[in-house]
Amino acid sequence: MDDRDLVGRARRGDPEAFTQLMMQYQVPLYNMALRMVGRPDDAADIAQEAFTRAWVKIRTLRDAPFKSWIFQIAANLCYDHFRRGRRYGEMPDEDTNKVVGLGILTPDPQERAEASERNRLVRESIEALDHDMRLAIILRDVNGMAYDEIAVVLHVPLGTVKSRIARARAQVQEHLQQYPDFFPSTREDANAE
Amino acid sequence: MPSEPRIPTEPTLDELSAYLDHELDDDARTRVADHVAGCADCQARLDGLRQTAYAIRALPMETPPRTFTIPAKTRESSSWVPVAGWIGGVAAAMLIIVVGVTHLPFQGPGGAASTGTISRSLAQGGAPAAGRAAPLGQSGAGTQMYDSQAASKAVLSNAATVSDPRSPSRMLTVSTDAASYSSTATMTVQLRLSGLPPSQTALVSLLLERNGFAVLLPAGSGPLDASGYRGNYPLANLALPNPVAGSYTLIAIEWLPDGNGELIARLPITIQG
Repeated sequence: MDDRDLVGRARRGDPEAFTQLMMQYQVPLYNMALRMVGRPDDAADIAQEAFTRAWVKIRTLRDAPFKSWIFQIAANLCYDHFRRGRRYGEMPDEDTNKVVGLGILTPDPQERAEASERNRLVRESIEALDHDMRLAIILRDVNGMAYDEIAVVLHVPLGTVKSRIARARAQVQEHLQQYPDFFPSTREDANAE
Repeated sequence: MPSEPRIPTEPTLDELSAYLDHELDDDARTRVADHVAGCADCQARLDGLRQTAYAIRALPMETPPRTFTIPAKTRESSSWVPVAGWIGGVAAAMLIIVVGVTHLPFQGPGGAASTGTISRSLAQGGAPAAGRAAPLGQSGAGTQMYDSQAASKAVLSNAATVSDPRSPSRMLTVSTDAASYSSTATMTVQLRLSGLPPSQTALVSLLLERNGFAVLLPAGSGPLDASGYRGNYPLANLALPNPVAGSYTLIAIEWLPDGNGELIARLPITIQG
């Protein structure tokens, strides 16, 4: 059943349908919030509040895609989080038992330690971005959203999305280039693509 | 003397980044690709952006530290209201979701289609005189699981039937899977409608009443068939009064067409603490 059907049922008060939507979006939404605010508990609070607000307001959602809408709610909650004076919280090193995908897991302790260190540096470089650029690059490179979806979430023109993502990548790259070993084989990797 | 091939205009940072994401239109993509192919500096810039994007995408997706839930009673439409407004003359003017059952020709044994189609509509009327009404179908308080095949089978164990004195073949049966439930149990309710003329729409409300107050049980989007409806209602999700334990009456109201009143079936239900 697609989002539109589930939203239709949820709008008529069917919590089962809304639960299915939550199941579908809980991991990407939580990870968006996690990369925005840093601390797992804060990210979980934001995701929970986003789902609660969406459930209460689901009847106001008509033709807009649920995905953009729920991410928009969560994005606003992230901004609220910082407006209240909360700071980016350094998260503990990833517990590999909780990793659900995309990360490259390896049994070699040395390689795992290196991957963990690389991830820490990436998180640090994302944290250094301003909130607008951080959110744009997270929606693109963590959540894999298309630019037009991001424009809806952020309520900004497509050109602004493009610009924020580009500047964010440039800043992250600049940050990571402080560590000489981070991009050891740029040309080889690019050629291997 | 042959001229050097002309390298297209150097792309901007925004263009290089969007090029990576396949977010440029055809003309811009071709222009960027042509330029990068002949420009080592821009190739290096592009590689750097690509590696950066890969590094971010390599961050692991983590599982949330806890399960997300929706509060059972956040929706505004579920409330405990005087039942007097629901039954009798005032009721017909209420805002109410109706369950429409439109009969289609029976296709015979083995036919793929059921004996009916499903329709739902919203009949707009005045608000009840007392309290906020909870429109059937708009409340999030209950959970409905529909089983259109089961709905057409025999009634459940605890049942009450009423018939229209003017048309005895027209009957309404409400049944539940038990007469007594714990406050955390799920109550299965089944309605059976019989004697409906062809192409007749049935308007049905379900209420759980105690001491003159009632909460509407929401309809949903699940399938109905010509002979009935079945829904599951977790009692903990309903806006019942405190203390929850007590003797209730499950009331099914079938609104008769053309202002000819209603059929009301009442079924005693006990909820234990």
